[in-house]
Amino acid sequence: FLSLSLQAKMSRPVQAQRLEGIDKNFWVDFVKLAATYSKANLGQGFPDFPAPDFLTEAFTRALSGGNHMLHQYTRAFGHPPLVKVLAQFFEKLLGRDVDPMTNVMVTVGAYQALFCCFQALVDEGDEVIIIEPFFDCYEPMVKMAGGTPVFVPLRPNPPKDGKLMSSADWRLDPAELASKFSERTKAIVLNSPNNPLGKVFSRGELGLIAELCVKHDVLCISDEVYEWLVYDGKQHVRIASLQGMWDRTVTVGSAGKTFSVTGWKVGWVVGPDRLLQHLRTVHQNSVYHCATIAQEAVAQGFQRELMLYGKPESYFVQLCKELQQKRDWLVQSLDGVGMKPIVPEGTYFLVADISQFKSDVPGVPSSDEPYDYRFAEWMVKNKGLAAIPLSAFYSKAHKKNYGNFIRFCFAKEEATLKAASDILQKWKQEKTS
Amino acid sequence: MFLASRIFCCRGIRTGQLRTDLLSRSIKHSVPATMPFRHKNTRRIEGLDSNVWVEFTKVAADPSIVNLGQGLPDISPPSYVKEELAKAAAVDRLNQYTRGFGHPSLVKALSQVYQRVCGRKIDPLTDILVTVGAYGSLFSTIQALIEEGDEVIIIEPFYDCYEPMVKMAGAKPVFIPLRCKNDGNSASSADWVLDPAELANKFNPKTKAIILNTPHNPIGKVFTREELQVIADLCIKHDTLCISDEVYEWLVYKGNKHIKIATLPGMWERTVTIGSAGKTYSVTGWKLGWSIGPEYLIKHLQVVHQNTLYTCPTPLQEALAQAFWIDYKRMDDPDCYFYSLSRELESKRDRMAQLLKEAGLKPVIPDGGYFMIVDVSTLNVDLSDVDEKQPYDYKFVKWMIASKKLSAIPLSAFCGPETKKQFEKYIRFCFIKKDSTLDAAEVILKNWNK
Repeated sequence: FLSLSLQAKMSRPVQAQRLEGIDKNFWVDFVKLAATYSKANLGQGFPDFPAPDFLTEAFTRALSGGNHMLHQYTRAFGHPPLVKVLAQFFEKLLGRDVDPMTNVMVTVGAYQALFCCFQALVDEGDEVIIIEPFFDCYEPMVKMAGGTPVFVPLRPNPPKDGKLMSSADWRLDPAELASKFSERTKAIVLNSPNNPLGKVFSRGELGLIAELCVKHDVLCISDEVYEWLVYDGKQHVRIASLQGMWDRTVTVGSAGKTFSVTGWKVGWVVGPDRLLQHLRTVHQNSVYHCATIAQEAVAQGFQRELMLYGKPESYFVQLCKELQQKRDWLVQSLDGVGMKPIVPEGTYFLVADISQFKSDVPGVPSSDEPYDYRFAEWMVKNKGLAAIPLSAFYSKAHKKNYGNFIRFCFAKEEATLKAASDILQKWKQEKTS
Repeated sequence: MFLASRIFCCRGIRTGQLRTDLLSRSIKHSVPATMPFRHKNTRRIEGLDSNVWVEFTKVAADPSIVNLGQGLPDISPPSYVKEELAKAAAVDRLNQYTRGFGHPSLVKALSQVYQRVCGRKIDPLTDILVTVGAYGSLFSTIQALIEEGDEVIIIEPFYDCYEPMVKMAGAKPVFIPLRCKNDGNSASSADWVLDPAELANKFNPKTKAIILNTPHNPIGKVFTREELQVIADLCIKHDTLCISDEVYEWLVYKGNKHIKIATLPGMWERTVTIGSAGKTYSVTGWKLGWSIGPEYLIKHLQVVHQNTLYTCPTPLQEALAQAFWIDYKRMDDPDCYFYSLSRELESKRDRMAQLLKEAGLKPVIPDGGYFMIVDVSTLNVDLSDVDEKQPYDYKFVKWMIASKKLSAIPLSAFCGPETKKQFEKYIRFCFIKKDSTLDAAEVILKNWNK
């Protein structure tokens, strides 16, 4: 074939202004780095162990079942068996009626659910409160919707008795939080259990947020993708179940996190019809339908879990137990080498303070980038251990404040966690020798 | 509710959870919602909530109705396509995230297929974006490149999402209709043409893009090289983009050739070409599509994508990649699915046309795609007593569903406000249907006048 010479491009600026300031994405670079260098990848948040058999079997059954219409469009707002079982689940969890057709919508992962929330509910000039550290997509999504992100940090309160810090020690200052609410505040984004810290907001903390939402008539976008990963007998409280909150909350969930199938990209929103109707409008004008077969299999997965709810054979119970053990193992590994882990109450992430560990680390080049970015990049290139710098989860203005923390994902097979531990041990020995 | 909570308790729920349920339920009942609700929809979606499909797919879901409405195949996808998906689902790592802008093996396969078709080098990483269906590609393209103050030319009739997507991006749709050459007596989709002078008048300094759909839904028109050249000349003259929706690219019937406007001189650098796995492989439920174009345009679509859904499902992309390799290797062979599906559909097209004629209807024979529009005015069905403000074709289709148990889609769903009158005597049938469905349609059509 011919390789044609470069023809004239469009002479005027071509991209829309809504893309301004949101073109950089940290993951694109870090995923590439991890793919190239890592021997133990505890960076990006996905399990490296297999998805549960009952779920992959459901997928296979759907394929071999002879109903080839599963390869065609299903209902745009969610495959009927899936929205039905989600409604059943959330009815029990929230203690109220949940209509599968109007109170539930299926999306392409929780990511697209968040996109629909912002596009449906945030207009130019609206302010949206984001709690730092935050899953990094909230900020560009708010901006793309023309909104103004307003940040409020979780502040570390180190325990006085020299114990390891817990994610519970990172808290909002109530007065500081209240000061962020203004006439222009449209919504607050809540993420509990929180990525990256692993914080599980207590009923009291949620009550405070709820009070402010009600007082200022503000919406709550509640990202609860890690809702099933809560440790030490703690409880995940759903803010939509608090007084005055159902009518103003959109709750986001994820099959990827619930069933360890991040690559299936099935998510959902649950909320009142008068908010979800607007998300449906965005959805029908952006992707319209989600893939059918994955929805069919996830529906069957949920049907199984509904029957086994609370029982020891429930995947939610088993996964949680397994991950708690992995958490504890990683906590010990890190503590053993002088990285100070912040013990997470939930999720499969763990943040560690590297300020003591780093002091002997040679060769980390200096630049304008936050220290933890440089550290994480150096670590993956030179030690083959991938982790994510915590400042990736902060707004530009606050990145420098938290330059001594990195985030590990522990939803990994024993072999991966052991490889990570070996790398750390060896590294520590190199430092001390 | 209380019974449910006791059952819940027996299932071993932590008592804390149970207390929460009971507590929150009691709160719910004691606090009525009296506050006026100020949270309306955002400006960008104002007026975009209604949708022809939501209305008509519900109506046609009744299994006793022969559904020739919504464009989805009821034929099976080829078996190797289904097998590849089964194989992909068995590989652990394929159940986790893949590369955001497109699974590596898929973008590689797409670049090979389209390099061959286009006769130019296509970089899999920079010139391609994989999206959730062609629908997702249209959205990414429009969000990336269109904004308030822009005008976008849309050719009528049009796939209905173009208008709301352009509006959601804050821009103004400018419509231009295809007009029937022979005074309304149309036997073929080729009779429907753009008036070059009329088209030229639609371009002005605000025009950011024109949306082209070839082969065309709903008419089935396959734009000729000369027709594409007219559009291309205007794009170059006015420095506008071309968004080329080519989802039916493989479905062209004898005597016709699908030409990619991006291959015309001066057009590669200003065109985003959109394709669809759903239409290529009869798997609409996989919702995979792609945008192909020059890096400096595609990179903006990638920015939209990374801020909207980030990645598409992995196992489906892997299966699609494998299916593409199978057909890429036999692109010189008539058994290649790209060509065999087209042949299969041509005979269905001919059968459908015959049945419609025998019932006294006037079908417009499509040169491509899997839809056929039909002039129903010849039947003189009087619906003036139906007291809805809807256009004639909406009323006709609803009447036909209720009284004949046959569904189609009204054509005015695909028109801007000014042209609804021009198209309201047409309805659209989909013929990518298995023989038994067409047999059932035949029975209805043969008995139409009885």
